[in-house]
Amino acid sequence: MSNGTQSMWNALDGEPTATLKAVPQWLIVAMLLLFLGSAVYFDARGGWFEPKVYGPYNSLANVESFQPPPPSGPDLNRGRKVFEATCSLCHNSDGAGKPALAPPLAGSDWVNTAGVNRLIRIPLLGFAPGPITVSGQTYDFPAGMTAFGSLSDDDIAAVLSYIRKLWGNNASPVTAEQVHAVRVEIGNRTQPNTVEELKSLPE
Amino acid sequence: MKSSALVFLTAFMALSASWGGFVLAPQIQLGRNAQAKTVPAGDLYPVARPGLANQGADVYRALGCVHCHSQQVRQDGVKCELVLTDAGTNTTATLAALGKLKPGLATAETLSGLPKTLMPLADMNAADPLLKVITGAGAKAEVHVTPTGPDIARQWGRRHTVAQDYVFDSPVQPGTRRAGPDLANVGARFPDRNWHLRHLYAPLAEVANSTMPPYRFLFEKRPVGSGPVPDALALPAGFAAEPGFEIVPTDAARALAAYLVSLRADSPLFEAPVTLPPAPATTAAK
Repeated sequence: MSNGTQSMWNALDGEPTATLKAVPQWLIVAMLLLFLGSAVYFDARGGWFEPKVYGPYNSLANVESFQPPPPSGPDLNRGRKVFEATCSLCHNSDGAGKPALAPPLAGSDWVNTAGVNRLIRIPLLGFAPGPITVSGQTYDFPAGMTAFGSLSDDDIAAVLSYIRKLWGNNASPVTAEQVHAVRVEIGNRTQPNTVEELKSLPE
Repeated sequence: MKSSALVFLTAFMALSASWGGFVLAPQIQLGRNAQAKTVPAGDLYPVARPGLANQGADVYRALGCVHCHSQQVRQDGVKCELVLTDAGTNTTATLAALGKLKPGLATAETLSGLPKTLMPLADMNAADPLLKVITGAGAKAEVHVTPTGPDIARQWGRRHTVAQDYVFDSPVQPGTRRAGPDLANVGARFPDRNWHLRHLYAPLAEVANSTMPPYRFLFEKRPVGSGPVPDALALPAGFAAEPGFEIVPTDAARALAAYLVSLRADSPLFEAPVTLPPAPATTAAK
């Protein structure tokens, strides 16, 4: 087939042919604008691939600005955890106590006090074996109470606030500073409390 | 071929770019998700499902529940509100403080029926100065974060579902179609296992106009007294078996019900902040 025939066929079919004509400028500009628009959109809403950012939030700072503040005042949730892990074995989950193990906390006149000086000493040092009068009723516990001084000030404050708020109890919360002050006063004593000794201290 | 190396390299780059984008990058982002702490309570989330519920996930998969039910709640926006929780003892001072925030609030009506929404906020940062004014007057206020969107309006969840919710799911079954309602929080909506058993046996007995097919093959009809069956279904008239017979769930039905009860994705997380309503005192005591 000669060259002349080839070009005739091309003209008849309208087949496209490669030329040296440049890409139109408007197409390049349009592509660049499209790229710029996508980049701006991604920057505003993409969260930069941060795995903690989901829509409708658009950045980590945006998610952070909706975080609830840490709870102020007594942390009853923390107190509940400490109570369930440490105290509820003997005092029971409902604060009713268990025979021969521990007296009730619900409605107890040792718990619902105005001051917390005596109350804080109980978990810090425990109780020596012996009889104790709670809300007018006398109990005798042959094993006394274990000391839980290894708990942190925050944990003791949380659990005391918890037992002072639940099961019908309604007394002011205990702060970690109060617990710390009593802990300093106690020093490195490990001797458990006795009922008479606590009664002699200010409430 | 003249430029085979170039063709090979181009094809390799194109395929590895999509592999990197669809497989590698998500794996780096989310592949190591483990239990995380909720905000602000600090509980571990999610909790592994108990064994029976784990078996139920396989039943859910085998029965194809995922073809009609999704397990992903969507969220369009988020609302931040200042809520007055305690008017304090000096109501005059509280009203004066509220008047400083917004003149229209300084009426006695604002202090009745607490907790009460005072005003919408842009975010937490906008709340700090306002909270200071209110606490300075002896009153108490909180900032509540409430996700919004059609799914949340339908009460299918309190917040959007995030990758953290699926940490213990294998395979993950988020679903794509919603012939039935979303199940991401079905355990929170219907915490009663027996409700789920009755609903699986006869959907119309529990939900009027339900289009769900009954799954009767998950249950056995037995003459009463032939064996100890503490969980025979208590069905309403019209669905119950004839006198002398009872409907007893099979192990598959028990597992599926346990799985459905375990579906609950509403803990507040960093990536999905939400203020939950305060727990009633009775549950806190447990």
